[in-house]
Amino acid sequence: MNAAQFLLSLIDASKGIQGRTLLQKRAFFVSLLSGIDSGLGFDAYYYGPYSSTLDNTVAQLKNLDFVVEDDTPFGIISGGFEMRRYDYKLTPQGTEVVSKLRSTEEYKRILENVRRIEAAGNPNYFELSIAAKAFFILRKQRRPMSTEEIKREAEKFSWDIQPQSLEKAVTFLQRLGLTKEAGKN
Amino acid sequence: MSAGLEVRDPIHGFIYREPHEHDIVDSKAFQRLRRLKQLALANLVYPGANHTRFEHSLGAFHIAGRIASRLQISPADSRLIRLAALLHDIGHGPFSHVSEPILRKHSQAEKINLKPKQQVHELISAQIIKEDPSLAGLILDTDRTKTVDLLNGEYGYSVFKEIVSGPLDADKQDYLLRDSYFCGVKYGVFDLERLVNSLTVHEDEEDKFLAISSDGVHVLEQFVLAKYYMSTQVYRHRIRLITDEMIGRAIGLGIDVDGIKWLKQIYSYDGSTDYIREYMEWNDERLTTKILEESSETYACSIFHRLRDRRLLKCIFDVKHNELTDPSSRMTVFTGSDDFHKPLEKLVAERWGYDKNLVICSPVTFKSAAKTESEISVIGPIKPRFFREESTLFSAVNLAINEQRFQVYAPAVYKDERDHKRQHREFYNDIIAMISKLSDPQASLSLEERGSAL
Repeated sequence: MNAAQFLLSLIDASKGIQGRTLLQKRAFFVSLLSGIDSGLGFDAYYYGPYSSTLDNTVAQLKNLDFVVEDDTPFGIISGGFEMRRYDYKLTPQGTEVVSKLRSTEEYKRILENVRRIEAAGNPNYFELSIAAKAFFILRKQRRPMSTEEIKREAEKFSWDIQPQSLEKAVTFLQRLGLTKEAGKN
Repeated sequence: MSAGLEVRDPIHGFIYREPHEHDIVDSKAFQRLRRLKQLALANLVYPGANHTRFEHSLGAFHIAGRIASRLQISPADSRLIRLAALLHDIGHGPFSHVSEPILRKHSQAEKINLKPKQQVHELISAQIIKEDPSLAGLILDTDRTKTVDLLNGEYGYSVFKEIVSGPLDADKQDYLLRDSYFCGVKYGVFDLERLVNSLTVHEDEEDKFLAISSDGVHVLEQFVLAKYYMSTQVYRHRIRLITDEMIGRAIGLGIDVDGIKWLKQIYSYDGSTDYIREYMEWNDERLTTKILEESSETYACSIFHRLRDRRLLKCIFDVKHNELTDPSSRMTVFTGSDDFHKPLEKLVAERWGYDKNLVICSPVTFKSAAKTESEISVIGPIKPRFFREESTLFSAVNLAINEQRFQVYAPAVYKDERDHKRQHREFYNDIIAMISKLSDPQASLSLEERGSAL
C-alpha cells in the first residue's frame, strides 16, 4: 500500500479528520500500530513525528479530486495571523477509490487501529501530539519510564508539557500497549 | 588575500565581491561549477541555454547580499548569508537535478544522515563546505559550520535561511531571470528591484521571517506568474522532460544493467572524504565523454549517443490528471511508482515491439510548489495576512500550477504526419486500456503476470 492509498484509507476509516496536526499524528500512530510501511517516512523532530511526504501526498490527493480540505478560522496566533483548522474528508471520487481498497488486508488493519485509538480515549490533536512526543522519548530511552522521568526528559527538549496532559498521554500509550513496546531493548 | 573585485554579469550588471569572496570564487571547488550546466540539456530546445551553476551562484550571492542589506541584517550575519548563497549549489553533480534520484537510490543510507525534505546533493554540499581543501584556508572553520547550519535552517532566525532557500529566495529570483535571458524567452521576467525593495521582516515572539509589504503584492504576483510560465515553457518543456528522463535512464541502466562500476561509484555517496574528493572531479562534459567511451553495446552509451545526436525518444502518450475520468486509473497513474510504471513500460514495449528499457513512464507533477508561496506573509497596516488571502490572482495561478500530467516516452518512428496522427490515436487508446487494467487493486498479479495478462 502506497502513501496515497494509506491516507485515503485512514481518512475513510476515521470518517474524516479534523486538523493537519491530527492527520499527521494519527497517521503516525496507525502506521506504527498496523505495521504498514506506506513510505510516509516519519521522522522524529523536536516537535514530534512529522512526515513531509504526508503533506505532499495530501496536496496531491486534493489536486486529484480525492480529498477536500475545508478551513475554519479559530482565533489569532502569535504574530497576529488568524489561526485556521484544516479538515479533511473524501470526495465522492475518493470514496470510489477507497471502496476498492476496503477488502484489502491493509485497509482492515488501518480500520482496526483507528478503532483502537478511539477506544483508548480518542485524543484530540493536542493530546495526540503529547502522546507522540512521550512515545518518542520512551523509544529513545529504550526502557520503561515513569511519568515524572518522561517529563524530565521532555524538559531537555524544551517541551513544555503539563503533568496532567502527560499522564493522559501515557495512559493512552499504555492502553495501546505502546509503553512496553517503546521501552523494549 | 586578493583585492575586492567587480565582475560584469548580464543579469545584474556589476557584482561586487569582497576580497575573501573573490578568493572563494577562484577556488577549485567553486570553479567546478563552470562545468555544470544550469539546465542540463535544455540547449537541445533553447540553443542559448548553456549557462552554468557558476554564474547562477554569483547571481544568487548578489541578490542575497542586496536582500540582507535591505533588511538591515547585521554585517556578520549578512556575510554568512552571502556565503551560503554563493555556495548553495556547490554539491551539484553532473547534470544537476537529474542526478538526485540516482544519488538517492545508490547512496549508502546507513552511513549518511539524510533528513526529511533534504536532498543528497545538499548533504554533499555541506560536506564540501566543511571539508574541501581548496576552501580550507579561505573560510574560517566556525564560518563553515555556521554556513552549513544556515543552509539547514539551524542558524539564526528563519529569515536567514529564507533569503537563500525559501519561496522568495535569492536562488529563485536569480534563476528565473537568468534562465529566461539565456533561453531567449521573456516568461521569467519580473521587477527584481521592486521585489527586493518590498521585502521585509515579520516577527513573532520567537522568530523572524521573510515577508513582503502590502504594496509588494503585485510584484509578488508577477514573480509567481514568472515561475509558472518558466515551468510550463522551459522547465517542463516536453523535450526537456524527455532529455532529463533519458539522462536518468542512461545512468540508471549503466549502473543496474550494464554494470559500469565507475558510474556506480559516482552515485554511491557514503559520507567519506575519499568519495567527495572523487566526486569533485566530475562534471557534465567528463561524464558524457566517459560514457561515450564505453562499449556501444551498453545502454548508457547508446542513450548518450542518442542525446548527442538529438535522436530523442518521442512522447507517445500525454494525459492531464483531469482527463482521466476513471478515479482508479487516475489514482494509479499519479500516485503509483515503479510498481505501476515498470509493468506499463513492459506492456507498451511488448505491444509495439520496443526495447522495454527504452520505454519511460513519467508523471509530471509540480509537487504543490505553490503551497509555500500561499503562506508568504503580507504585512499590511492593520494585521499580517497570507499572500493567498491578499491576492485574487494567486488562486487561479495556484490551480494551474497544480496541474499534473502523465507521459510515456518511447523510440517511436513516424513515416509522415498522417502516420504520426494514426499512431498517436493507437497509442492513446491502447495505453488508456492498459492503465485501466493495471489500476484494478483486486488483481494481485506479479509484475510478470501483469505483463502477460494483457
